[in-house]
Amino acid sequence: MSSVPAMQHDSARADQARALAFLADLSETLAVSLDLRQTLSEAVNRIADFMGAEAASLFLLDESGSTLECRVCVGPIDIAGLRIPTGQGVVGRAVAENASQVVADALNDSRVDHSTDSDTGFVTRSLLCAPLATAKGPIGALEVVNKRSGGAFTADDAEILRLIAAPTSLAINNARMANELVQQARMKREFDLARRMQKSLLPKRRRNGFPLLGVNLPAHEISGDFYDYFDLPDGRIGFFIGDVSGKGLDAALLMVRVASLLRWIGKEGTPPESWLERVNEELCQTSLDGRFVCALVGHCDRLARHVHIAAAGFPPALLYRRGEFTEFLSGGAPLGILPGMTFDGHEIDLDEASLYCFSDGVTDVRDAQRQTIGSEGVRALIERHAGASAEPRLRGMFSELKHLRLVDDTTLLLIERMHPHGPEVLLKRRFPARPEQMREIRSLLRTTLDDAGVETGIRDKLVLAIDEACCNIIRHAYGPKDSGDIDLHLTSDGGILEFRLFDTAPPVDPARVRPKPLGECRSGGLGVALIDSVMDDWKLQARPDGKGNRLVMHKRISLTRRNGEDHE
Amino acid sequence: MNGIEQETADGCTLIRLRGEVDLSWSQQVRQAVLEALSTSQRVGVVLSEVSYIDSSGIAALVEGFQNARSKGSGFALVAVSDSVRAVLELARLDRVFPIVADIEAIPDLSGTAAWKP
Repeated sequence: MSSVPAMQHDSARADQARALAFLADLSETLAVSLDLRQTLSEAVNRIADFMGAEAASLFLLDESGSTLECRVCVGPIDIAGLRIPTGQGVVGRAVAENASQVVADALNDSRVDHSTDSDTGFVTRSLLCAPLATAKGPIGALEVVNKRSGGAFTADDAEILRLIAAPTSLAINNARMANELVQQARMKREFDLARRMQKSLLPKRRRNGFPLLGVNLPAHEISGDFYDYFDLPDGRIGFFIGDVSGKGLDAALLMVRVASLLRWIGKEGTPPESWLERVNEELCQTSLDGRFVCALVGHCDRLARHVHIAAAGFPPALLYRRGEFTEFLSGGAPLGILPGMTFDGHEIDLDEASLYCFSDGVTDVRDAQRQTIGSEGVRALIERHAGASAEPRLRGMFSELKHLRLVDDTTLLLIERMHPHGPEVLLKRRFPARPEQMREIRSLLRTTLDDAGVETGIRDKLVLAIDEACCNIIRHAYGPKDSGDIDLHLTSDGGILEFRLFDTAPPVDPARVRPKPLGECRSGGLGVALIDSVMDDWKLQARPDGKGNRLVMHKRISLTRRNGEDHE
Repeated sequence: MNGIEQETADGCTLIRLRGEVDLSWSQQVRQAVLEALSTSQRVGVVLSEVSYIDSSGIAALVEGFQNARSKGSGFALVAVSDSVRAVLELARLDRVFPIVADIEAIPDLSGTAAWKP
C-alpha cells in the first residue's frame, strides 16, 4: 500500500488546521482593535505572510462608490493612495462583480493592469483578490500578489482569502458604524446645548403683578418661536412674540437673530407700527433664503389698562371679556419679504379683560381625529379655563394641549391685569345642596386641582374630603326638611389650599361635629373622620348673622411643575 | 355610568357595582347588599369598575359585612379598584373587610377563621 495519499491527506488536514488557527487569531485581533488603521496594517502584513505572497494590499471604496483607494499595502512597492475606478483591473472587477478573482498567469491576462509594473520594474506574475463583502454590498477588496514559492495561487488559496476577507470587512464596518454613533451623539449634544441656549433667551417669569405671562412649548428639540418683554424708559412694558417659518436648526438660528433685533429696536420705545417697519427693513437687507418671520409687538402699562399692538402676518390676537371674544387681525405681511412695508396697529382698552397672543402652533394642535383645533378650539379652550387666575389657567390650557397632538412649536403670551398679592382664586361655585349635584362638582374639583398642579393621589383625597363635607351639609345641616345652596370657594396662597363651604341651613353646633376614630367598623360618622384625616386643619362656624354655616379647611401641598411650561 | 348588576352562581350572589358610588344612590347599594344577604349564604361585592366611593358607599358595605357576620354568612369585597382601595386605606378599613382577588376566594363563612388576609 502506498502511503502517499495518506500523507497528502494529513498535510491537507494540517493546512486546514493552520488556516483555522490563523483565521481565529486574525478575527480576534480585528474584533478587539481600538485603532483600526494600525490593526489593519498589521493584519495585511500577517495575511501576506500566511498566504506566502510577495505583496498584499487593502482597497476601500470612497464615499461616491465609484473609486477604490489603496489604504494599506505591504511588499516591495508602496501603492498606498493608488486610486482605481470600480470595474477596472482585478481589484475593480472583484468589487464590481462582488466575486473573488484568481489570475494564474498575470502576464497574459487581460484583466491585469500593468501600468504600475512598468513604472516600478515589479513583475506581477499571479494575483488573488477577494471582495470585502457586507450586507450592503462590497466596501473594498483584499489583494495578494505573487506566490513566493513561485507558481500560481490555487482555488484553495482563493477560498482562504475569501474567509480572511470576512472578519476584515466586519471590523471595518463596525468601526464605521461606531464612528457614526459618535457623530450622532455629538449632534444630539449640540442640539441639547442649542435648546438650552434658546430657553435661556426667553425672559424670566416676573411676579408681583407683572401683567405679562408667556409659555413656550417646542414641538422638537429646538424652536422657531420666541417671546420677550422688557421695561421701556417711560415705565411701560414692551413685548413681542414671534414665529420663524420652517423648523430645524436654520430656523432656530434666524429666530435668535430676529429676537435680538426686535429687542434692540423695541427697547427705545418705538411705537409698534414703526417698530415692525424698522425690523422689516433690517431683515430685508440680508437674504433669509426664502424664510420669513411672523411677529406681534406691543406696549402696555403696568396695570394692563391700555395695550397698543401691531402685527406682521401673526395670528389674530384674541381679547376675552366676560364670555365675549374680540379678534384683532394682523395689520401687515410677515417680516423679511418686502422692504418698505407699513403696518397698522390696534389700541385696545383692556381694563379687566385678557389679551391672548399665540403662535399658529396653538391653532394647529391636532385633536383625536387629527383635525386642527383652529380658532374655535382655542376659544373653547380659553373659555373652559376662564375661571382660574392667570398662572393656573395657562398651566391648565397647556396641559390640555399636550394631551392633543402638537405639530408645531406652541407659544402663548397673555396680557392682563394681575393681582400682585393675596390668595389666588382657583374656583368659585354655587350649586344646589343635592346629592345628584356632587358628581359634577367632583369632576370640576379634579380639573381645578389638576390645573393647580396638585399630585393625583392628594387630589383624590381632597375631592373625597370636599364631597364628604358637602354631603354632611346636605344630610345634616339642610336635612330632609330644608333646601338651599352650597358656595364652594377654593383659593391658593403660598402652597396652602383653602377650601371654604358656605350654606344657608339652620346653624349647626360645632361641638357636635367631631371625628370618630377611623378603622372602626361602623356605618356612621365616617365622613368627618375622613375630612379630619385628609385636611391639615378645619373649622366649622355658624355665620355671624345666624344664617347658615361656614366650614373652612386647609391643606398644604407641594406643587408639581411640568417641563417646558414655566420659565422661572 | 353608575349601575348595579346582580348574578347568582353556585349558591353565591355577586353584586357588581359600576361608576361613582356616592350619596345620590348609595341607599340602592345598601338595599341590594342586604337583599342579597337575605337570600344567599355567600355574597361578593365586585368593585373593579368603581372609580369613586364616598363614606355613604363605605357605610353600605360596612352594614352588609356586619349583617353577614351576625348571620354567619360569607361576605367579601372582590377585585377592589385602586381608587376604592385608597378610600378604604384612608378610612383604615382595608384590614377590616375581607378583600379577595376573585370570586372563588369568597369565604363560605364570615369571620377571621374563614378569611385570611
